[in-house]
Amino acid sequence: MSAFVSRITRRRSGVLDVFKGSAIMGPLAALALAIVVFATQSDKFLSGSNFSLILQQVMVVGTLAIGQTLIILTAGIDLSCSWIMALSTVMMTGLTMRSGMDPVVAIFVGLLVGMAFGLLNGWLVTAIRLPPFIVTLGTFSIATALVHIYTSETINRLPNVQTFLGNTFTIAGTDVTYGSVVMLILYVVVWFVLRSTTAGRAVYAVGDNPEAARLAGINTNRVLMGVYAMAGLFYAIAGLLLVARTGVGDPNSGGAGTQDNLAAITAVVLGGTSLFGGRGLIFGTLIGALIVGVFRNGLQLMGVESNYQVLITGVLVILAVAVDALSHRSK
Amino acid sequence: MSGSTSPGNVLLEMQGIGKTFPGVRALEGVQLTVKEGQVHALLGENGAGKSTLIKILSGAYRKDEGQILFEGQPVEIRDPHDAQALGISTIYQEFNLAHDLTVAENVFLGHLPTKGGRVDWSTVKARTREILDTLGVELSVDAPISSLSIAEQQLVEIAKALNRKTRILIMDEPSALLGEKDLANLFRVVRSLQAQGIGIIYISHRLREIFELADEVTVLKDGRYVATRKVSEVTMDDLVKLMIGRDLKDVYPKRTVEQGDVLLEVGNLSQSKLLRDISFQLHAGEIVGFAGIVGSGRTELARAIFGADPSSGEMRIAGKLYKPHSPAAAIRNGVALVTEDRKAQGLFLQLSVRINTTISGLRRLTRLGVINFGKELTLVKRMIQELRIKTPTPSFLVVNMSGGNQQKVVLARWLSVGTRIFMMDEPTRGIDVGSKSEIYQIMDELTKQGVGIIMISSELPEVLGMSDRIMVMRQGRIVKELSRAEASEETIMQYAVGSAGA
Repeated sequence: MSAFVSRITRRRSGVLDVFKGSAIMGPLAALALAIVVFATQSDKFLSGSNFSLILQQVMVVGTLAIGQTLIILTAGIDLSCSWIMALSTVMMTGLTMRSGMDPVVAIFVGLLVGMAFGLLNGWLVTAIRLPPFIVTLGTFSIATALVHIYTSETINRLPNVQTFLGNTFTIAGTDVTYGSVVMLILYVVVWFVLRSTTAGRAVYAVGDNPEAARLAGINTNRVLMGVYAMAGLFYAIAGLLLVARTGVGDPNSGGAGTQDNLAAITAVVLGGTSLFGGRGLIFGTLIGALIVGVFRNGLQLMGVESNYQVLITGVLVILAVAVDALSHRSK
Repeated sequence: MSGSTSPGNVLLEMQGIGKTFPGVRALEGVQLTVKEGQVHALLGENGAGKSTLIKILSGAYRKDEGQILFEGQPVEIRDPHDAQALGISTIYQEFNLAHDLTVAENVFLGHLPTKGGRVDWSTVKARTREILDTLGVELSVDAPISSLSIAEQQLVEIAKALNRKTRILIMDEPSALLGEKDLANLFRVVRSLQAQGIGIIYISHRLREIFELADEVTVLKDGRYVATRKVSEVTMDDLVKLMIGRDLKDVYPKRTVEQGDVLLEVGNLSQSKLLRDISFQLHAGEIVGFAGIVGSGRTELARAIFGADPSSGEMRIAGKLYKPHSPAAAIRNGVALVTEDRKAQGLFLQLSVRINTTISGLRRLTRLGVINFGKELTLVKRMIQELRIKTPTPSFLVVNMSGGNQQKVVLARWLSVGTRIFMMDEPTRGIDVGSKSEIYQIMDELTKQGVGIIMISSELPEVLGMSDRIMVMRQGRIVKELSRAEASEETIMQYAVGSAGA
């Protein structure tokens, strides 16, 4: 066990070495292990249709996790994540079905709402200087309230253009949703930005050492505002993907999705991103999200009760954080 | 005057010790022999390997190669237990005392004797009293640690070691936090330990102490064994030469002052109560040293000029008005600040040399925000070469580097953005003599290129060795300006503490 831990926690050569470094190897190994274990537990696991299911579930959490990754890279955390998603979801769908807005415009409004909420988080963190944990604890309640003020019923019978991303095409016996492709594209884009742009470097710098970042000439406040706003945008996109998958705008998607919240954070930490900031790879998060998805799916196939599923997710979170903390101590 | 008793049998022999950490060869072929009743000094600069060597002896690390012989028998020290079983005790700079417990409780920490299931306090107190008396220490055994001074706490640590039947006592920079009087007491205690036949390994880079206390001295450099000498047969210069490989005199480059145009003008700079009405000029090609005691406002001054903190007053760069609202603005104007705590405020420890170097100058390496890796790598490699930064690759994480190399990375950062006005706050703090000397060379080169340097330093030899002019600050003001010719350690101190009638 300790060999495993030390492999995934050993410091490797920085940000630029995405696949060269072992930073990805640990999470990848964990994913492989999980797949192997669940494959032995149920013969339905290793099938095209099952993988489709996993991908569909990962689609939403995986996108939420992109936003969460950006925030955690700056040593912050976002507890309001799935509720921003819910707010965007009901706005997108509600404006279309109830207020007769053009569905495409409504999508954009939904995305903007997500971004605006993210900006609110960012402002509270930078201007009022509240710890992100507290800020998002507060805004999650605000978002919840706003969602339920806007609607208490599920909004359904949505126009095709909004559920389009839920449509699938087939590859090697697996149905892949267009939404999953969108998610993957987003991962690549974020990977590029973090790796090859000034903005990306600034995120890592602020996360590693905000004071040094400021003294190095980086506008730390602007970076943080940007990170929280972008995260909000990603949560809103996740909302669109959720709508695409379920076909409805559900005011409770934030709630059942407090699980999604936890799952997103778990994905980020399992993927090797440090809660202390400044360290982590975006593709690690993708693998982390897949691990979470595989676990959920595998446990379901094994007939494990949903309460135990939640329990196991909780254990995974603790394991992931423990590994992160241990790696900070081993010098 | 070195140790009084002639040492006895060989107690400890370390041969061919090697230790590797990821990316760093910390020790190579190191040897050390300690005799009973001998004070053996271990000398070397920061990063020489002294810490690593004693951690291997005390069981905190495990050696990768080599042999350890105790009283002629080969032994394995796998963990602190093994070390303690052999009678090896270590006193680190950070003491391992329980603050709210008493002296006696600490001396017996972890092995309180019991009688019939209950703690035998009378034995504990009596024995502690015995040990303290042997050391000639007058502390009460019931005094809580929190009520003791640093020097007294150190004595309790020594008592703790004696209680464990120590054969070899390792003392890591014991004098770092002590004043003159406590130091004398410490020496007395060390000599009495010697008389009891204990072998003492004494780590310090204060040569004066070594000459007063030690019988033999072993010098390490860059993780390698250099030499062992009898203290009576060697001079201070010899030791320095062994430590850094060159003469003491050559540490500071000989500077020829070519004072150019005024680069920076500071007029009536003030900041609440911390800075009061500061005015001075910095010329191209000169190094202005800022001396003063802790709290005199020097760091605040540098931060204000750098735009890190707000201030009032007027500043001009090359004649143009300069009012930085943020460090970014200062950087755009060619001003740089090398902070006094590079780990906390200068470097991104978890990131690479490459990123740390280019972080402030990405604009020159990007197009539409996208970084040109080729250009960046070329720049970083050039900096590594020019500054002789020791790193296996540009992707090496800065946290794994020695202090001197870390500081060079910071300098590389500012050099690569074309800085004309350098402010360096304690530029060589915590850096080995070899790297210090390299940094001084770099500073000298810079001034030859027309750069102006403001150097804040608490090391008077450094201030005197490097500055062309010296500003002494006290309580937020510049109280005196001295030229290099008229300055001396005493004069500077006098103005710094206010006893010069200033």
